[in-house]
Amino acid sequence: MSAGTIEVYDLQKTFKGDVQALKGVSLSVGKGEFFAFLGPNGAGKSTTIQILTTLISPTSGRALVSGYDVLTQPEQVRLEIGVALQETGIDPALTGRELLEIQARHFGMSSVAAKKRAVELLEKINLTEDANRRCGNYSGGMRRRLDLALSLVHRPNILFLDEPTTGLDPVNRIAIWEEIRNLNQQLGTTIFLTTQYLEEADQLAERISIIDKGQIVISGTPKELKRRIGMDVIEMHFADEAAATRGAQLLAGLCKQHTQQREIVKCFVEDGTRRLPDFVRTLDAESLQIHSLNLAPPTLDDVFIQVTGKKEGTA
Amino acid sequence: MTRFFIDTWVQTVRHLLVIMRNPFIFLPNIMISLFFLFVYQGGLSSVANLPGFEGSYLAFILPVSIVSAAIGGSGGAGQSLVRDLENGYFSRLLLTPATRISIVLGPMIAGMIQLLVQTVLILIVALFLGLDSASGILGFVVVIALAAGFGLAFAGYSVGVSLRAKNAQASQAGTFIFFPLIFLSSTFVPLEFIEAEWLKWVATINPTTYIFEGMRAVLIEGWQWAPILQGLLAISIMCALTITFASMSARKALNRD
Ligand SMILES: Nc1ncnc2c1ncn2[C@@H]1O[C@H](COP(=O)(O)OP(=O)(O)OP(=O)(O)O)[C@@H](O)[C@H]1O
Ligand SMILES: [Mg+2]
Repeated sequence: MSAGTIEVYDLQKTFKGDVQALKGVSLSVGKGEFFAFLGPNGAGKSTTIQILTTLISPTSGRALVSGYDVLTQPEQVRLEIGVALQETGIDPALTGRELLEIQARHFGMSSVAAKKRAVELLEKINLTEDANRRCGNYSGGMRRRLDLALSLVHRPNILFLDEPTTGLDPVNRIAIWEEIRNLNQQLGTTIFLTTQYLEEADQLAERISIIDKGQIVISGTPKELKRRIGMDVIEMHFADEAAATRGAQLLAGLCKQHTQQREIVKCFVEDGTRRLPDFVRTLDAESLQIHSLNLAPPTLDDVFIQVTGKKEGTA
Repeated sequence: MTRFFIDTWVQTVRHLLVIMRNPFIFLPNIMISLFFLFVYQGGLSSVANLPGFEGSYLAFILPVSIVSAAIGGSGGAGQSLVRDLENGYFSRLLLTPATRISIVLGPMIAGMIQLLVQTVLILIVALFLGLDSASGILGFVVVIALAAGFGLAFAGYSVGVSLRAKNAQASQAGTFIFFPLIFLSSTFVPLEFIEAEWLKWVATINPTTYIFEGMRAVLIEGWQWAPILQGLLAISIMCALTITFASMSARKALNRD
């Protein structure tokens, strides 16, 4: 059975005005897998989600969701998937409870069953107290939670989440993380999540693909991606910014690449353990004091900068 | 088929809730209609004393008030859709298995219900002002039917424009067609009293004229079949055009390019 799987073959999308949003994306997500699609602004994440959820059609290529072709079997696809788009889809004049009931009715539940399901979900997303308020008055976090609940009404096999935590404070972000992790682990729901936050992908996903300018540039588990960059990071804290600047100059020759942020200098090197003594010697020769020095494997942040040439979350 | 009825019902109820919770959707429109009734009835009623004018000016101006209410009520259908498109709820609905046509039909039916309520309300006010129908209570039914038919045609137009424009300003601009529709017609004086040839000509091809004339015939003269049938014919032609336009626009909007 292919329920809960996503298969994408050479997906291309050219918008009017010759904008090539996708230039041949292929990927495959297994049943129950937590997949993260990571990329900077305009990379093509939302376009991919809109194609996979039957909202727009691809220019070429093929996509199967739970084994159904998104182009020719959109009705079957819609029953399989829950979707929370980048922009929440909420009618501000209605209450959270009403929206959940309407959603359930459209998925074929009787009005009694719809009421019951709404109560369950409101409980689950901690919105029972605000259930009868118009959601135009909800906070950003409450809206996101309601939008997530709306996508869960029919207990979908696959959940598509387009930047579900963008613009949320840390408390709300973690609440959403918990909820989707539970769905994935307890119900075995396949998750396809897009994000601009590396931390989010690192925390949640089993497998990540990084997309840039309409093409997947690298895929693998978070660990694999970090290993693939093939470098370690040596991080040094100096006494002050001036000392750090001086240190960075001295060490530039030893590093493949380095960054400085006030009194902290980060240096990318191959085989860090063996190079460490060189660092200490160089600084010692100039009697530059350092408060701390440590060697760490690269973070996803470092991978992201390497493959896209961009800082996370910037265009 | 039952799916279609449930989906349409659910969406109609939602749009009615939205209308009831936002009085600004219907209040201005009702005010304008009552304005026609009170102000013109009070200010222009001496027109009724002109030689050749039949009946009361109240019965003459009432159709203008009703048609204005009909435009407001059914124009709301398009506004509701734009609202859904703008706040993202339209996409949320497209992601459900709901029958596609129900998503467009819901606001149209809600708009028609709003129109019926407003029309009845205006008729009641007119009765209090001393309206006397030449064809009795059944005459009112014809007036309401003409209003509903005209409203349906306008709803088709407004939905079509909204689904193409996809933003509030453009669809609002589209509803300004009500201006020529209402005012370039036998709005305040009978057709034969209009002196400017161009206005007479425009009024003759303006379908609203035949709605006015149909309603006036029923209210003032009694069961005159010719104007009633002309009114119904005008409505049929308008509906055929605008509903076709609406469904073409809907197909385009729902097309997943
Ligand atoms: N309807 C459209 N018409 C024309 N161009 C579009 C349309 N939608 C998206 N694009 C373009 O396609 C490209 C990919 O956009 P997309 O929304 O998929 O990016 P994204 O990865 O989701 O970015 P973000 O992180 O900002 O949400 C962008 O260059 C965008 O301007
Ligand atoms: Mg996006």
